[in-house]
Amino acid sequence: MMLELDRRSMQNFDWVLLTLVCALAGLGILNLMSATAAGVEGGTSTSVERQVVSMSLAALAMAITAFVDYRHFERFAVLIFLFSLGLLALPLFVGAETRGSQSWLFKGSLQPSEFAKVALVIMLARYLHRNPPSMITRLRHLVVPLVIVALPVGFVLLQRDMGVALLILLIGLTYLPLFKISMRAWAGVGLIAIGALAVIWEFGLKVYQKQRIMDFLDPTRDPLSSGYQAMQSRIAVGSGGLLGAGWQEGTQTQLRFLPTQHTDFVFSVLAEEWGFVGSVLVLALFLFLFMWGLWIARSSKDGFGAMLAVGTVGTLFWPAAINIAMVLGLAPVIGVALPLFSYGGSALLSAGISLGLLFNVSMRRYVF
Amino acid sequence: MIRGSRDGDHLVGGGEAPADLRVGLVAWLLAVVFIIFVFRLFQLQILEGADLASRSERNSVRTLTLDAPRGDIVDREGRVLATSRPAFRLRVIPNEIRSRESTYAVLGELLDRDGAVLADRVGQPRGRKRFQPVVLEGDLSYEQRARVETHRYALPGVVTDMTPHRIYVEAELAAHVLGNIGQIGSRELENPQFSEYRSGEVIGKAGLEAGLESHLRGDSGGRNVVVDVAGREVETIDEVEPIPGGRLVLTLDLDIQAEAEKVFDSEGLDQPDKMGALVAMDPRTGEVLALVSRPAYDPNDFAGGIDESTWSELTGDAWRPLRNRAVADQYPPGSIYKPIVAMAGLSEGILDPEEKVNCPGHYRLGSRVYRCWKHEGHGEVNLEEALRGSCDVYFYKLGLELGVDVIGKYASQFGLGTATGIELPGERSGLVPTRQWKEQNRGEAWIKGETVSASIGQGYNLATPIQLAHAYSILAGRGVAQQPYLIKRLETWDGRLVKDMSPNQTWSSGLDQEALELVRQALISAVEGPDATGALAQVEGLSVAGKTATSQVVSLDLIKGLEPEEIPIKFRDHALFAAFAPADDPEIVVVVVVEHAGAGGGAVAAPMAQRVLARYFDKNGYPGSLDEEQSVERPLEGRIDDDA
Repeated sequence: MMLELDRRSMQNFDWVLLTLVCALAGLGILNLMSATAAGVEGGTSTSVERQVVSMSLAALAMAITAFVDYRHFERFAVLIFLFSLGLLALPLFVGAETRGSQSWLFKGSLQPSEFAKVALVIMLARYLHRNPPSMITRLRHLVVPLVIVALPVGFVLLQRDMGVALLILLIGLTYLPLFKISMRAWAGVGLIAIGALAVIWEFGLKVYQKQRIMDFLDPTRDPLSSGYQAMQSRIAVGSGGLLGAGWQEGTQTQLRFLPTQHTDFVFSVLAEEWGFVGSVLVLALFLFLFMWGLWIARSSKDGFGAMLAVGTVGTLFWPAAINIAMVLGLAPVIGVALPLFSYGGSALLSAGISLGLLFNVSMRRYVF
Repeated sequence: MIRGSRDGDHLVGGGEAPADLRVGLVAWLLAVVFIIFVFRLFQLQILEGADLASRSERNSVRTLTLDAPRGDIVDREGRVLATSRPAFRLRVIPNEIRSRESTYAVLGELLDRDGAVLADRVGQPRGRKRFQPVVLEGDLSYEQRARVETHRYALPGVVTDMTPHRIYVEAELAAHVLGNIGQIGSRELENPQFSEYRSGEVIGKAGLEAGLESHLRGDSGGRNVVVDVAGREVETIDEVEPIPGGRLVLTLDLDIQAEAEKVFDSEGLDQPDKMGALVAMDPRTGEVLALVSRPAYDPNDFAGGIDESTWSELTGDAWRPLRNRAVADQYPPGSIYKPIVAMAGLSEGILDPEEKVNCPGHYRLGSRVYRCWKHEGHGEVNLEEALRGSCDVYFYKLGLELGVDVIGKYASQFGLGTATGIELPGERSGLVPTRQWKEQNRGEAWIKGETVSASIGQGYNLATPIQLAHAYSILAGRGVAQQPYLIKRLETWDGRLVKDMSPNQTWSSGLDQEALELVRQALISAVEGPDATGALAQVEGLSVAGKTATSQVVSLDLIKGLEPEEIPIKFRDHALFAAFAPADDPEIVVVVVVEHAGAGGGAVAAPMAQRVLARYFDKNGYPGSLDEEQSVERPLEGRIDDDA
């Protein structure tokens, strides 16, 4: 039986995790209502309704993922991974160009890269279960995991979606602190990385991509073109002050000075309208969620569950961190959604599956 | 529970206890990231919060100036000559334009103009000027406005707003009196007099628009509005209403003005419009009833920011249509001057009006011969006949007897050589030559032959049409007249009296009454007598006094032997006529100057004056006729109460 609804699992249901998820999702919807109140281009008030529908679907996906015993995922890990790679490769042949990248398949209803993140975590968890992190002491031990990570990253890069490629790479790197590789080796890696970055800068980046990075480094360079978003976002965040302008009261938001305020810059809306207090509260909820996820990993009964939980925390942490850093002007403007807050069905579905995996591992901590 | 236990075995055997994992390190790293976020939030929201909040406010709050509509200019009966109506204006704020090429290309398309020209007009200003809006179109048509509004989101930096637009209801009519407006120039902005003006603001540039700028301007208001990212107004925070400019009631009579304009129009397809000036005024009050300068221009062309081609057309025109000939151009008065010389002779007691002087058609002074316009001569003429026939020789002799300084003294008593003080900018004072004047200005002694020219109003003599009208008012008023003026009163925009402007500046010439009567009778004869030079000015049922003049523009040598039509236009004589009526109790003085008419004052100018006189009396009633009683009460209620 694939679906295991046994009593012990239910008795160990993770109410803390559910509370955190509901709190964040609720705040996300509330914030989106404000962000779309002014009638954003491409997102009217109906977008809140659509987000609620997407969230229900994500909850369903979460429930399904939670109740399938995660050891089945280990068994089918390779298959799942190859399937995700196939999905990633598909747009190269049939996908329609959208926003300079090809990752939106089937008219934007499904983003294969979201699924690929989860598949990568399952694959890496399987590998690290068989090759425990404590045994990884030499750089050459990293070759296989690196190849596993490089495959989806490479496919995404072929579609010219820098942000997602970086995200998948970072999710893979979540496991790094677990390895026991000496500092000397890391220093070497660091040097090589710097060299690689130089080569990428010189040959790998398109003009607009360099532009974005330069604008990030100096937002005053051109306040009206690519630096405009970063500048308006900082103004929005700053004008929030201690307590914020109040829900649906932020002028930056309501007068639409913020670009893509219902998707990538949704946290600016929160910061402007809810101020320092509200922003820190949301940050604290996110951090609590991630800590709880790591606690689940630590208290997991087996290595696969632990690795799965760590990776799942990675799939949620990295987009959140990059998105917030971008909003706060600490990172360049990369189109990465804030989990549970940004408008968009695909990202919600992906977050639902990730959270489902966490529930899954959490509920089975005491089972066997 | 789970199929296949190999995985389970592996779990226990090959895996390690998750508790041994360095999950704590991961947790710490994540926590550090979030602590950085909290610090950053603290920096942005608490430390820089106030600064960024004010920038957010500047983002969304915009202060708009609400231009006050300029005051109306109306004629003596309250008929509107210049007013303001709301119009849609299109401006660009250079700093807010994202893409120059596409913005101007699209604007060009929408406005049916050349995008490159629009781009040139705005240029790429630097410094503070980047934020100052540049007007590209002052009066959008309904269709243009609809097109621009539809594309607003694609055109950041393009603003449309409603603003008062100046219109001159009668177009060219009285253009030189009204003048025109334009955007304030950089030189004017530096002038402390205009310290309250903003760049791009409209200011009177000529005529009364310039002369009464402070009354007409009004006080602009302002409005603080919240705008969205496309610059559309979302909400008004507060607003100060503009106060419209004051109303200007002129002495002009639209009916007389219209007729006075019409008399310059071409009489046939092959004939050009006449050039020159016409002044009609009431000698009893000094009110100017009509003031014409031709060629004219349409001041509406200036109201929305004049376009380059119209501007260069107007300024490049050799006949200077922008110039107000009635006050700013000086003409040799010619024979119109003769009554003044006659006044001098009579007052000085050296002229017997009945004494006959022989005119053989020329006059010899030393080696030079001065011709009379009538080559065959007038024969024996007394003063009345000399004025009626405009005999030059008679006045040559009289002038030489008087001397130029005595003639000058009497000319000054008629106001010549002094600006009349009419409210129009650019008035010139004309010239009454004297010995002293010539020595001071030319450094040469006066020669006798120049007195000969001076006594028929030629030579150095110069006068503006408004001066001539004033001089004939003095004749008409038996030595007493009011200074000419154009502005009856200033009112607020809603019609409350601000100031009565009738100057009541009586000009008392101190001239001899008996002499004045003799000259007046002679001037009646010059229109109504047998073979009168001014016969074409006769109006049925009215006695008209008047004097013709044909003044030379260049020395006769230059045009010797040429047929009239062969003479270049600019060398042709000016035709002048000055008249007043009714001769016994004058109500109106008319002075007509036709530049380069190519024919005499009697033929060209007198019939023009006749039409204006006829129009005046048709409207206001002929003396002694029945309808005079009725027409004394003028039609407009209220406004002219002070006349009663």
